[in-house]
Amino acid sequence: MKLAVVVQRYGADINGGAELHARYIAERLAKHAEVEVLTTCARDYVTWRNELPPGLDKVHGITVRRFPVTRERDPRDFGRRSHHVFTETHSIGDELSWLESEGPTAPALIDHLERAGSGFDYVLLFSYRYYHAWHGARRLASRAVLVPTAERDAAIGLTIFKATFRNVRGIMYNSHEERAMIQAATQNEDVPGVVVGVGSEVPARTDPARFRRRHRIDRPFAIYIGRIDANKGCAELFDYFQRYAMTFPRGLDLVLIGNPIIPIPSHHRIHHLGYVSDEDKFDALAAADLLIMPSYFESLSMVALEAWALGRPVLANGRCDVLKGQCIRSNAGLYYESYSEFAETLYSLESNGPLHARLGRNGREYFTRHYAWPVIEKKYLDMFEQLRKRPASTPVEPLPNWMARRKRDLPPANQVLAAIPSGPAS
Amino acid sequence: MSDFSVRSDAVDVEQIMRQVRSRIREKRGVDYTEDEIKELASVKLERFLDPKGVRSDLLDQYRKRRESSTTARNYAFEDTTLYESSRPLLRAIRKLLNPILKLFFNPTPVVEALHIQSKLNDNYNQAEALYYELIHNLVLETTRLGIEVKNLKMRVESMSSRLDFDERRARALEGVVQYRPGTVAPLQPPANGTSTAPPGPGSNANDPDRRLRRRRRRGRRRPGGPGQGPSGERSQHASDSTGESASEARSERSDAPPPSNAGDSGSGSTDS
Repeated sequence: MKLAVVVQRYGADINGGAELHARYIAERLAKHAEVEVLTTCARDYVTWRNELPPGLDKVHGITVRRFPVTRERDPRDFGRRSHHVFTETHSIGDELSWLESEGPTAPALIDHLERAGSGFDYVLLFSYRYYHAWHGARRLASRAVLVPTAERDAAIGLTIFKATFRNVRGIMYNSHEERAMIQAATQNEDVPGVVVGVGSEVPARTDPARFRRRHRIDRPFAIYIGRIDANKGCAELFDYFQRYAMTFPRGLDLVLIGNPIIPIPSHHRIHHLGYVSDEDKFDALAAADLLIMPSYFESLSMVALEAWALGRPVLANGRCDVLKGQCIRSNAGLYYESYSEFAETLYSLESNGPLHARLGRNGREYFTRHYAWPVIEKKYLDMFEQLRKRPASTPVEPLPNWMARRKRDLPPANQVLAAIPSGPAS
Repeated sequence: MSDFSVRSDAVDVEQIMRQVRSRIREKRGVDYTEDEIKELASVKLERFLDPKGVRSDLLDQYRKRRESSTTARNYAFEDTTLYESSRPLLRAIRKLLNPILKLFFNPTPVVEALHIQSKLNDNYNQAEALYYELIHNLVLETTRLGIEVKNLKMRVESMSSRLDFDERRARALEGVVQYRPGTVAPLQPPANGTSTAPPGPGSNANDPDRRLRRRRRRGRRRPGGPGQGPSGERSQHASDSTGESASEARSERSDAPPPSNAGDSGSGSTDS
């Protein structure tokens, strides 16, 4: 079997959620099939500037073929177009212009995919919202398996993506909530799909003491790992934590790992360590009492899964359907939707040993049952097997004609999103 | 804040969250919905009473208005005012013609009304000065009270949390005494009027030798030994890569040191 993995960026040191997801999947599937990665020369997801050389490369033994991005993203143009399609009545043409503006615009990648597509059994397209996934799904629908990595944001309400979700051969969802949201937005129930997610390279042994020594952290602490950004709920986390710290002067500290986009409050119980190595990250998780995930939008929180793999409970933002659903399904984490709930749940996790232990144990079991690599690999292989037996039947939905593409009658994407039912999937 | 009792392997997160919410409701007294809160917030009175709603430049505005209106604050009006003039001759002629004027209309009520108005203006000016002082002081007091209320709220929240913690710790200590395996059976009301149930399997509550042995063992335990940090806080997870045993050993902590026999509460490992 020969597989292509198509993703916006790829590299051993590129750690974006979807990119890391794609790398893990490519490396794991390489044990069962011949895998080639098709990607761009970009490293920066904001500008898509060409920073890596085009052509063939090897990353951890996987063949990687890079294509140049023809147009860097102009953040102002993208912001203006996003505002238009998300908040105003617009046309299909507006949405296509938005897609071009978002990038990474790599027509050579799409052309190569079309030319060499017949040589692959299946093409795994990562991140539905980008240029490569939309064009890839249209050009090679009969072999396309989509890994949407969709969050509950306005992009899912754009009309151009409905056909993408209906035309591909199969969909590998990250969570039940993601599947429910996509099915509600695009009515693609007929397309074979399975909730898979992704595993993680959790080391067999961690050394919490090493982390504490290295960073001179003696007190028990809760940890946040990820980009420190208001979009990730960090501003709210800082506010809540400072209030909590005022109430419990001897409670947990908060350790932050990741690059800061917003200022971090100067507080003697908040420790920011910046970017750390994977070894340090897992040591930190093992040393932590719990992981806090304050994000409002996640398609699948890999770091939450890693915390569960290490037997650490998670305190998640209950306004994120996926995180809330994961906590309920795993019985391995609590969630909050207000400061009162944050304080109560954090205090319970901090002080109630039996509860902490049970949640941690449940987390480990949940990870082993659903996110261990053999389970993930089997789900992919089963999906390929299922698709092999089932002929590709649905023709690609054509784009409307030139005139129709300019007809401004599409509702704002935010309005479409608001109509999609929310909450954890049952 | 009190604890959740986790007595079995099965933990239901949704059940725990329901307990969390009901506890928050109990604390608040009334749990307002979002709509109710919005309705309350829209009440004008709230805004009026809220010191933050008072304009910060209110005092200056008030002062400015008073200064600008000093030129027309009041007038003097007596019964002779109508006929006054800076020229004495003119004043004399007006007085002479006064009887003729009265043939056309009666100026007396006009004079009286304007006189009363002048007095009212005087009263109003005096009262306005008082109102000014009053509002000024009210704003100051309201602001001061607002700050004080905020401080008190924070203190109440802090004390309430500490009280909860103390209650929970007390319950935990009681639980340790009652449920520690291998000691006396927990105090239970006799079922169906019969005597207390016999100790469970493995329990040697009535064996005085065993109790003595336990007492000796505990006597040898050093403070600050395994499972207890030097400052009374929980020890680090050490090299336990999974962290489970550390979690299990975790007992009541954070705002106060754990009870000295907290290590017995989990598995009762000293006896079994």
